[in-house]
Amino acid sequence: MKYRIIHSTRYRYALSVSNCYNLAYVLPRYTEKQRIDSIEVKVSPLATTRNMRTDYFGNQFLQFSIEKDHTELDVSITSEITIKDTAININLDFGNPCTYVKYLLKHSKDWETLCAREFMLDSPMVQQHPDLAEYAAASFPDDRPFLSAVMELTQRIFTDFIYDPEFSDVATPLADVLKYKRGVCQDFAHFAIGCLRSLGYPARYVSGYLETLPAPGQEKLIGADATHAWFAVYSPGEGWYEFDPTNNKITGEQHITTAWGRDYSDVAPLKGVIFGGGHSPQLFVSVDVRRIEDDFIPTQSQSQSQN
Amino acid sequence: MNPYSTLMENPVDPANIKDFIYPAPQLGVDEAYDSEGRIRPHWRYLLHSLQSLGHDAIEERQKKTRRILRDDGATYKIYDEPDANQSWQLNPIPLLINSDEWNQIETSLVERAELFNLLLQDIYGERKLVRQGIIPPDLLFSHHGFLRPCQNIKLQGSHQLILHGADLVRAPDGSMQVMADRTQAPSGAGYALENRTVMNRVFPSLFRDSHVHRLSLFFSRLRQRLHELNPNGGIARIVVLTPGIYNEAYFEHAYLANYLGFQLVQGSDLSVRNGYVWMKALDGLKRVDVILRRVDDIYCDPVELKGDSRLGVPGLLEVARLGHVAIANPLGSSVLENPALLRYLPEISQALLGRDLQMPSVKTWWCGNSDDLEYVCKNLKHLLIKPTYRRPGLYEVYGADLDDKKLQAWQNRIRKNPLQFVAQEYVVGAQTPTWHQGLIQPRASVLRTFAVASESSYSVMPGGLTRVNLDVDKKIISNQRGSVSKDTWVLASEPEKQISLRPLDTQPAAESSNALPSRVVENLFWMGRYAERAESAMRLLRTVFIQLNKTEKLPDAVCRTLLSAITHVTATYPGFTSLHTALLKNPEPEMISIILDQQRLGSVANNLMAMVHSAEQVKEQLSSDTQRVINDIGDELEQLKIALEPDALSAPEEALAPLITTLLAFAGLIHESMTRGSGWHFMEMGRRLERALQIVNTLRSLLVTSFDEVEQETLIESSLLCGEALIPYRRRYQNGIRIDQGLEMIMLNSKNPRSLIYQLTQLEHHFADLPDNRDEFSTEHKLLLEATTALKLSDIKTLAKTANGIRGELDQLLSRLQYLIGTAAKAIGQRYFDHAEGPQLLVKNSEWQDHL
Repeated sequence: MKYRIIHSTRYRYALSVSNCYNLAYVLPRYTEKQRIDSIEVKVSPLATTRNMRTDYFGNQFLQFSIEKDHTELDVSITSEITIKDTAININLDFGNPCTYVKYLLKHSKDWETLCAREFMLDSPMVQQHPDLAEYAAASFPDDRPFLSAVMELTQRIFTDFIYDPEFSDVATPLADVLKYKRGVCQDFAHFAIGCLRSLGYPARYVSGYLETLPAPGQEKLIGADATHAWFAVYSPGEGWYEFDPTNNKITGEQHITTAWGRDYSDVAPLKGVIFGGGHSPQLFVSVDVRRIEDDFIPTQSQSQSQN
Repeated sequence: MNPYSTLMENPVDPANIKDFIYPAPQLGVDEAYDSEGRIRPHWRYLLHSLQSLGHDAIEERQKKTRRILRDDGATYKIYDEPDANQSWQLNPIPLLINSDEWNQIETSLVERAELFNLLLQDIYGERKLVRQGIIPPDLLFSHHGFLRPCQNIKLQGSHQLILHGADLVRAPDGSMQVMADRTQAPSGAGYALENRTVMNRVFPSLFRDSHVHRLSLFFSRLRQRLHELNPNGGIARIVVLTPGIYNEAYFEHAYLANYLGFQLVQGSDLSVRNGYVWMKALDGLKRVDVILRRVDDIYCDPVELKGDSRLGVPGLLEVARLGHVAIANPLGSSVLENPALLRYLPEISQALLGRDLQMPSVKTWWCGNSDDLEYVCKNLKHLLIKPTYRRPGLYEVYGADLDDKKLQAWQNRIRKNPLQFVAQEYVVGAQTPTWHQGLIQPRASVLRTFAVASESSYSVMPGGLTRVNLDVDKKIISNQRGSVSKDTWVLASEPEKQISLRPLDTQPAAESSNALPSRVVENLFWMGRYAERAESAMRLLRTVFIQLNKTEKLPDAVCRTLLSAITHVTATYPGFTSLHTALLKNPEPEMISIILDQQRLGSVANNLMAMVHSAEQVKEQLSSDTQRVINDIGDELEQLKIALEPDALSAPEEALAPLITTLLAFAGLIHESMTRGSGWHFMEMGRRLERALQIVNTLRSLLVTSFDEVEQETLIESSLLCGEALIPYRRRYQNGIRIDQGLEMIMLNSKNPRSLIYQLTQLEHHFADLPDNRDEFSTEHKLLLEATTALKLSDIKTLAKTANGIRGELDQLLSRLQYLIGTAAKAIGQRYFDHAEGPQLLVKNSEWQDHL
């Protein structure tokens, strides 16, 4: 499947910003199933320095600085990618059972497993906790195939938790997410990662986009999509598998990956430092994911504001 | 007579020395005694010399040591005890190491630095050691000093690790072992240098005759290496990046910067532009090529590292990545300070060097290893517990110092977070002769050593920073816990040849080292202003005390005018301008509050503290004499508090004199010993502007209202007294005190260095010498010109004229001058100083930033 993704982020400041230094994790990443066909980056006003970089986790990010007065910042990425048709119906019931996965994690000396141990540790936004382990434990009996257990955890989060954009921001603590059983995709991904790490399994955070399809008979609006997040787990010898607790599924052709890391803080879409700008800058984000085969019909652009 | 030859002729009687110091220890190792209880040969000369000096003389030298350190402004802040004595502590008896042993130590330290350099390259490169299972992945991945954004950033040249520090302790078998490594920004080298300088002065002949290896070569190698790191070609601009005056080792930062000839800067003095780092100087941005870093790496760049850091430079990491600035030690090097690495160091050494290290580390257990964890929990009572990542408030603990309850709590804490802790065997360290309470006593010691990348390897400072605890009950030796330092003498077997440093120092000094960061200039400007403000206030207060204490009582109206002038000039409203008659009847408490109340804005003490604070910010710009005078100001202020106690109050005007003298000494030093760079100009401008403003204020308060002749005389006399012009006045005018002559003397007499016109003329000279003076006059210059002209065009007779009890013309002129001079001062600030707002995070993530 081929997609064109337009992701634009706009900041409007109360006062003039004299200079800014930023990192943006908004470029699609090369993965086993995802190929980048083209990327076009627009930064407005014109960036003074701008570099594409590969980070520690292998993600591509954009570094840029703007060193003249400005009151608006616009970062717009247009990329075209191809996602391989992967067998979506992986049979989760044939695979290493949980105990064996744990055994391998402890004793295996292959590089991939050693690296995966990094994702078993606490990270800035996800700390292990007995409550998380307790929540997840029921799905992970020793002899159950590990991936099937993770699918069940995914499903339970989908069932037990309510998607509620009003409830959280990026810094909502996991304890609150568990207590109120509410959140958005980042929270559910963090929560699942916290559960898995608390049980001693490696899990990482994946950020990207999800293609949303309009209801039958309706036209798809540009910008109706959003950035999305899910998680991946590692089973030694079997590799990394991605699950989407917000939608109760293993990721498929509609999941487009931008970056992964220990948690959100490693791959925040845009971060940086500004000089000046006053208080409470306004943020507008719009994401449009579109199949390239589709006819492109320009319509009124809509944005969602995330103050 | 040369004491060394005396010694040669009269071999020391060891028994005699033993009585002089302390008996040979039954247990443990001692630096001065060998295992058989004999004084080691390399200690004999020193101990003999100390013995000939005698106890009183050593105590005298100890006092002298303290005095010199204080005069040098050598401080070290202990965070947990903000009120404690912050002077750097130096014990007068050095630690001695003979050249044979030093050769071994030196070789071992070079080897260790090489190993840590390779380790650093591997950690931020291929991570082969993790791949090969030599370093457990959790050890590296869980460490807060492992900064993932630093992956693959490289300095040019053969070494990534530029400075390596190590804490050495002597094990019971007499061998040296490494207790900890310092790779973040190893501190102490500057203190070691200061210690050496002081010892050299306090024991000149003893030092000379002991043939001590010199430290200077180490520093010139450091300077050389930093120049070699310059990625941008040409002559490198090198800066020392300090977190600022609140850091415990700020003295050292300033001291090193001065010694090495580099500019001392704070994060806010630097800015990233167009992919390079620049220093914000008075006349624009100056490119910085090399940074000697004393800010912890995680604080260095809020964009990519700790987001809420105020100590760093936004965008710095990207400049390092581009290879446009060299940072030593590189960002990320704190990962090597993880003491858990010591546990695996033998294997690491085999893997990277292909051999065992010559000098072992103190036995260490890492709680992330399950066997180690069990061992540690069982033996906690005998072990030293250390966090893998050092941060303020989290210090090492000795199990033996804990009761059962605390031990259990520590065990729980460790079990909950085993990756974050190591335990180490507790090594007492060798006892070394130490001066304490008038006697030589044995105290355990730890030695901090320093190595700098040099040519194709490392070179080690011959010596280092020795530390001991005077309190025998304290088990852990650390400056943060009140340990005292010692100089470390590596004794040469023969007199050391004077090595000329020229061939090494091929680089000429940076061309415009006179380019100061604008923060420094701003502080100098304000130092001048605060000093003058305090002095003017004191002169006025002194004058009023004198007038009030005259034998004949002053008329109420005069009294009120004088007292109100104090309030106006110091801007400590409402004070005497309020209508409370009680205040006027008993003015002394209010006057004393205006002198002493440090919390009160405008008080003398408040201005003096502000001045001292500014001085601290620009420590590296001040000569040691100036530093001493600044210290004196603090002391005088303390003295004044005692002298002005309400019960003891007599002749308060006398009590102010020493402080005024000290401020004059300060002014004199600035005038006589500061080079005429922009720093000097700005300090002088600050002083002149402030003095001009204070003259105007004083005149407005005292002379605008007109009085009867006798009363008027008192006020004119007071104005002249404030400006030290009474005696010259009397010499010049023999016809008594008159308003027009008084005004002439204070305002227009160009020969009087305290007259208004004199200040304006001086300012004119300074303005002319400022950088970047274009053909058009600057705002402040125009304002000054207007003020000078208005003053020169004024007519004394008209100014003296009274109508309706007021000198309207005088008031108008003074008010105009006040405006013009005040606005000129502001314009200078606008034009030259940095007004950039502090950085803020684009996205504020309050909670988790703390965990990064």
